[in-house]
Amino acid sequence: MERLKPFIALLDLDLLLFMAVSAVKVGFFLGAVMGFTAFLTWVERKLSSLMQDRVGPNRASIFGFTLLGLFHPIADGIKLMMKEDFVPARASKVLFTLAPVITLVPVLAAFAVIPFGNYIEILGYRVDLVIARLPLGLLYVLAVSGFAIYGTFLAGWASKSNFALLGALRGAAQMISYEVTLGLTLVGLMMVYGTADLQQIVLAQGRLLFAVIPASGVIYQFPAFLLFLTAAMAENKRTPFDVVEGESEIIGYFMEYSSMRFAIFMFAEFIEIILVAMLAVTLFLGGWQIPYLGEAGFLFPCGRSIAIHPYAVVLAQMAAFAGKTAFMCWALMTLRWTVPRFRFDQVMKLAWQGILPLSLLNILVTGLVLLLAGKL
Amino acid sequence: MIEIKKVNNRPLNLLERIYVWEIFKGFLVTARHFFVNLFCPGKIITIQYPEITRPLEHAAKRRTRHRLKMRANGTPKCVACFLCATACPAFCIHIEAGEFTSSQVEKYPAVFDVDLSRCVMCGMCVEACPEDAIAMDTEVIPGGVLKREDMYLTRNKLLQNMPGDPSIKGAANRLA
Repeated sequence: MERLKPFIALLDLDLLLFMAVSAVKVGFFLGAVMGFTAFLTWVERKLSSLMQDRVGPNRASIFGFTLLGLFHPIADGIKLMMKEDFVPARASKVLFTLAPVITLVPVLAAFAVIPFGNYIEILGYRVDLVIARLPLGLLYVLAVSGFAIYGTFLAGWASKSNFALLGALRGAAQMISYEVTLGLTLVGLMMVYGTADLQQIVLAQGRLLFAVIPASGVIYQFPAFLLFLTAAMAENKRTPFDVVEGESEIIGYFMEYSSMRFAIFMFAEFIEIILVAMLAVTLFLGGWQIPYLGEAGFLFPCGRSIAIHPYAVVLAQMAAFAGKTAFMCWALMTLRWTVPRFRFDQVMKLAWQGILPLSLLNILVTGLVLLLAGKL
Repeated sequence: MIEIKKVNNRPLNLLERIYVWEIFKGFLVTARHFFVNLFCPGKIITIQYPEITRPLEHAAKRRTRHRLKMRANGTPKCVACFLCATACPAFCIHIEAGEFTSSQVEKYPAVFDVDLSRCVMCGMCVEACPEDAIAMDTEVIPGGVLKREDMYLTRNKLLQNMPGDPSIKGAANRLA
């Protein structure tokens, strides 16, 4: 006990407070994300059915209430838990078990740096509405999302199935190719805003261009926005780029997985949709910014202003962030149900002959414009 | 009406090969379907099957749920000869015979079960029956139930046919 005293002294009140606040933020943000993920599995099914002139899931009921099929995620969860948890006899058991976790954890970790609001002052204590405000948040996101490939590849390799291994190889090739582009498309953005701190980028997007247009990333870097969306969808392994999985026939790296282990892969994929949507919103669509809404209220370019309580402002901004994220999720899903799957050679050609040179060109042009504008 | 659609296989122009604009056009198409169906769900042609059924035409040509016919005195016309069970390719008919002591007819079906979840609706039982005791003219289409038991018809259910009243249709019989 005597020996522990210096350590207890180290745990001063500030640190404890910081830890408590961080825990609350993690709980709030990740809770919201997880809830939205479960909701998204329903949205995907309902959305695709409506786009194809079908009705979609509407049967799962509790006491006769179906609520438009909203209980289907619960029914799906129960069904998946009831399934046999199968491990192939020759699989490497440890890695087979670890692979879903390695897939899920990096995706969740990436949410740490995404700002979901500006900051609030509670009893004079400033709480940044981002779980961890890193000066190099953007690089952190890229680094962490680069981890996802381990999960994919380990899942395919550890299950000792030829088809799973082939799927994993396709996955590895595709994810490495698009990882490069994903990083390069964001370089232009970092050049424009001069920072890799996501909160700083969002704050910079609150400024006005020519005193009228919000200076969001999509205006500065529209080509990069399209390239980013393409690369991010490929990273996400969803339909135009789903040769990795090919759910309907060739399956893929999670072929040998069943029950909740498979559910984790599915869950990770859906969380990744939210991650991609949130990144697109944060980097290109102004994050939590509402146009013309400052810390004290609206300030329109025509000179009118409406004062709003700071707390209401923060709440509105968080709602705006959620709304924008939901919109991006909707757009990504609509794209997923619009575009047919690319062949594998087309995927590779698009990455190395299409998107990669274009993203390099984007960096060059951005640099030239910045040079000519005298900001370099 | 089926007609031949001529597909124009011209080479793609530059805008189509860049593909982004084409994806955007496709995006608008799917989005239009989404919003139209979201706000006017009545336009979706799906029929919520077990609750809503379409009236089917040509009742006489159609095989529907089985029924057992009765004699005028209320006993089943079936004489438990097992010909239907023998003819059944799906082995869905289960019969146990009982014995009349007084009647001219020797046997009656003490148990007559039809497992509709196995039945393939082929009508062989109707063809096989020498007594014209089984028929498939109730115009009830089996299926769309939530419990297995609801697909299992016992003798009493089969006798209570033509929904509501006992099946006396076609009761005329030489042994009546």
